[in-house]
Amino acid sequence: MNQESERKPRILGFLCRWCSYAGADLAGTSRKKYPANIEVIRVPCSGRVDPLFVIKALRLGFDGVLVSGCHPGDCHYQTGNYRTRRRMAITKKFLEYVGVEPERIQASWVSASEGGKFAEVVTKITKELKEIEPNRLFDDEE
Amino acid sequence: MSTSKKISKKDIGKILSQWSQEFTVLVPSKEGNVSKMARWDGKDTRFMDSHRNTVHPVKANFFPPMEEMFSFQKNKEGYHIEPAPPDEHKLLIFAIRPCDANALAILDMAFKDGYEDPYYLSRRKDTVLIGLGCTNPYDSCFCTSMGGSPSDSTNVDIMLTDIGNEFLIEEISEAGKELVAKTEDLQEAKKADEAKAKKVKETSYDKVTRKIDTRDIDKKLLACFENKDYWEKVSAKCISCGICTFLCPTCYCFDINDDSFKKRGARFRSWDSCAFPVYTRMPMENPRGEKWRRVRQKVCHKFEFFPMNFGSIACVGCGRCIRLCPVNWDITQTIESVPEIT
Amino acid sequence: MKNSEIEQRLRQEAKALLEQGKVDCIIGYETGSLKFTTTPLITRNKDDVERLIVSPFIVNNLSVYLTEIKGKVGIIAKGCDSRSIVNLIQDNKIAREDVVIMGIPCPGLIDLNKIELSLGKDRDELDNVTRDNDRVVITIDGKEKDFPITEVLFDNCLECEFPTPREYDVLLGEPCAPVKSEVSKKTSIKELEAMPRGERWNYWKEEFSRCIRCYACRNVCPACFCQRCFVEESEPQWVSPTPKWQDNLMFQVTRNIHVAGRCTDCGECERACPMNIPLRSLTKKMYDIVDEQFHYKAGTDKNASPLLTAYEAAEVEDFIR
Repeated sequence: MNQESERKPRILGFLCRWCSYAGADLAGTSRKKYPANIEVIRVPCSGRVDPLFVIKALRLGFDGVLVSGCHPGDCHYQTGNYRTRRRMAITKKFLEYVGVEPERIQASWVSASEGGKFAEVVTKITKELKEIEPNRLFDDEE
Repeated sequence: MSTSKKISKKDIGKILSQWSQEFTVLVPSKEGNVSKMARWDGKDTRFMDSHRNTVHPVKANFFPPMEEMFSFQKNKEGYHIEPAPPDEHKLLIFAIRPCDANALAILDMAFKDGYEDPYYLSRRKDTVLIGLGCTNPYDSCFCTSMGGSPSDSTNVDIMLTDIGNEFLIEEISEAGKELVAKTEDLQEAKKADEAKAKKVKETSYDKVTRKIDTRDIDKKLLACFENKDYWEKVSAKCISCGICTFLCPTCYCFDINDDSFKKRGARFRSWDSCAFPVYTRMPMENPRGEKWRRVRQKVCHKFEFFPMNFGSIACVGCGRCIRLCPVNWDITQTIESVPEIT
Repeated sequence: MKNSEIEQRLRQEAKALLEQGKVDCIIGYETGSLKFTTTPLITRNKDDVERLIVSPFIVNNLSVYLTEIKGKVGIIAKGCDSRSIVNLIQDNKIAREDVVIMGIPCPGLIDLNKIELSLGKDRDELDNVTRDNDRVVITIDGKEKDFPITEVLFDNCLECEFPTPREYDVLLGEPCAPVKSEVSKKTSIKELEAMPRGERWNYWKEEFSRCIRCYACRNVCPACFCQRCFVEESEPQWVSPTPKWQDNLMFQVTRNIHVAGRCTDCGECERACPMNIPLRSLTKKMYDIVDEQFHYKAGTDKNASPLLTAYEAAEVEDFIR
């Protein structure tokens, strides 16, 4: 079985430990179906995500990156997700200007009780990324 | 009996084409408005019009900003290591400036010292250098203070001097003589041409107005090695970027790094600079963490340590470091201000 | 006020500051060692202030030195430089009371590269370059050539919004108005935006294949004050030190995002680049994005929170699912 080809597109998800990661967990325990295209890194807060991580993921060949945290006002650390919002807003705009498809940079608010929403978000992003070319932005020789 | 030859400027294309049969011919070129020695396109000879000197020193053609040393791959039998394919081009560099040719002689010493560097030396082997004397040196040039001159032919195979509509040829090395002998379309030079060339050389020499005195500079530097006040003053405006070292024709420091791709890895070497604090960073300690120590290293390496090891100053006076520095840090001012031994 | 008068006042001011012990060190400009060039003068000696100058070639953003100099500093600042100083104050890198800012209203600086390109001559081949209000007169081979300033000022000066320093202790000269002109660059942001996305990426790929990673862009930048830059991390290694275009571009794009809201469009990165990479087409775009999305202009208010540490409850959110 060729796992590699089945997992196209590949998505890297940065999920906040308090909300989105728990949301993803809930999606699993409540047997929601969503594509297995996302690989998850748990972060203490979505505010931990340096735009550098997003660019590095693209450099490593991920087709898309999802940064997901608590809804505004729900951050465990009060303001982490607000900062993420500003950062991701400029990152997305700027990368688009440089020549990166906007579909590759994704952000969402998913709370611990929103297993369904998490499944939905991943399904939608996977669909969008299937519609664009695989990531060959930083194409090294192989 | 005059045996010297000359090239009509109109015939440059023809002659370069002849040479291209045997050599990979490099000429001053522009890429994104940055000049360097690059492969001749086989047609255009207008590169001569604006050539004073290239931004990239000629070292970049032998010791490039990055190069693959070998690659490695894991397969069923274990690890497989593949050396980088050897560079078998025989290079001919046309219109190299005397300072850059002298710099190659300095690099040759460094890359042969103790260990023979296969990457540099294999490219350097059998290279023919066609020097072109400067008639319009930059205001940052100071070659005449570093033992060279705008018409210095010590380290080239053939020396050309611009005498108006032609270049007068001087055959310097055996390789140069051979090449001239088998080159067609050269013209016989007249006595008057040689006289003209002599005049051109004298005028050019006088155009280099930046002068420094390097007598006993190694001793003076040794004496002020611990003079922190002096070095702090000299280094105050340096911003620790790598321009002066990267684009220096005699700087040869490099970094080695492994990069991995999906199925294979490769080891690269790339330019490194003593101006960077990370250059000497190690656990617990950075012996050159402070800026003044790094500036001191750069100056002393060129004017004290290198002469100590190789008997020659590792600076040819091309002036690139002065010209390209974003803050106009000027090595000649530094050398001039080194305290006298008391 | 003429430059020579500003110079006189500046020297008096700087001398007084040193003599009265109000500052330990003065950072300004002096005549450089190449034609037209100026160079930073960093001194603790009151006799050296006689060397201070003001000219249309005072290109360096001197605030880059503030974080490394100990003690109180008297610094000369143009409009953009003063905003960089404000940034440093906002980011708590320096204290306001530790700097005495001698502000100079700046009518725009002359870009010698532009002159070189349009005349096909290098700067040391020019006899003279003088600014006369809206014109720049260049003498070459004894002949005078006249250029409108829109053709020879730096792009960032043409688009400068705040030529008069935003923050100063003493202002030398009268406030001046922005030039406010279209840039004359070959590939402007507008043209880049008009390209198809893939072509834009290829444009940057091409430009960054020249990069040699000398880090001059980062080191001249007063907003790049990290003790240790992410490119120098080895565990994990974010960016390879090998100057491949991929890593070069990744470095520069990330640097731009990191200095978002701190970049004052002083243009130093582009000027310092020895490989002629149009870096300002990146930095200015980021400047515009920050302005459009958050109505934030770097270094205009020392009491404001830095862009990326602040937020408002209701803000751009349309891109979030």
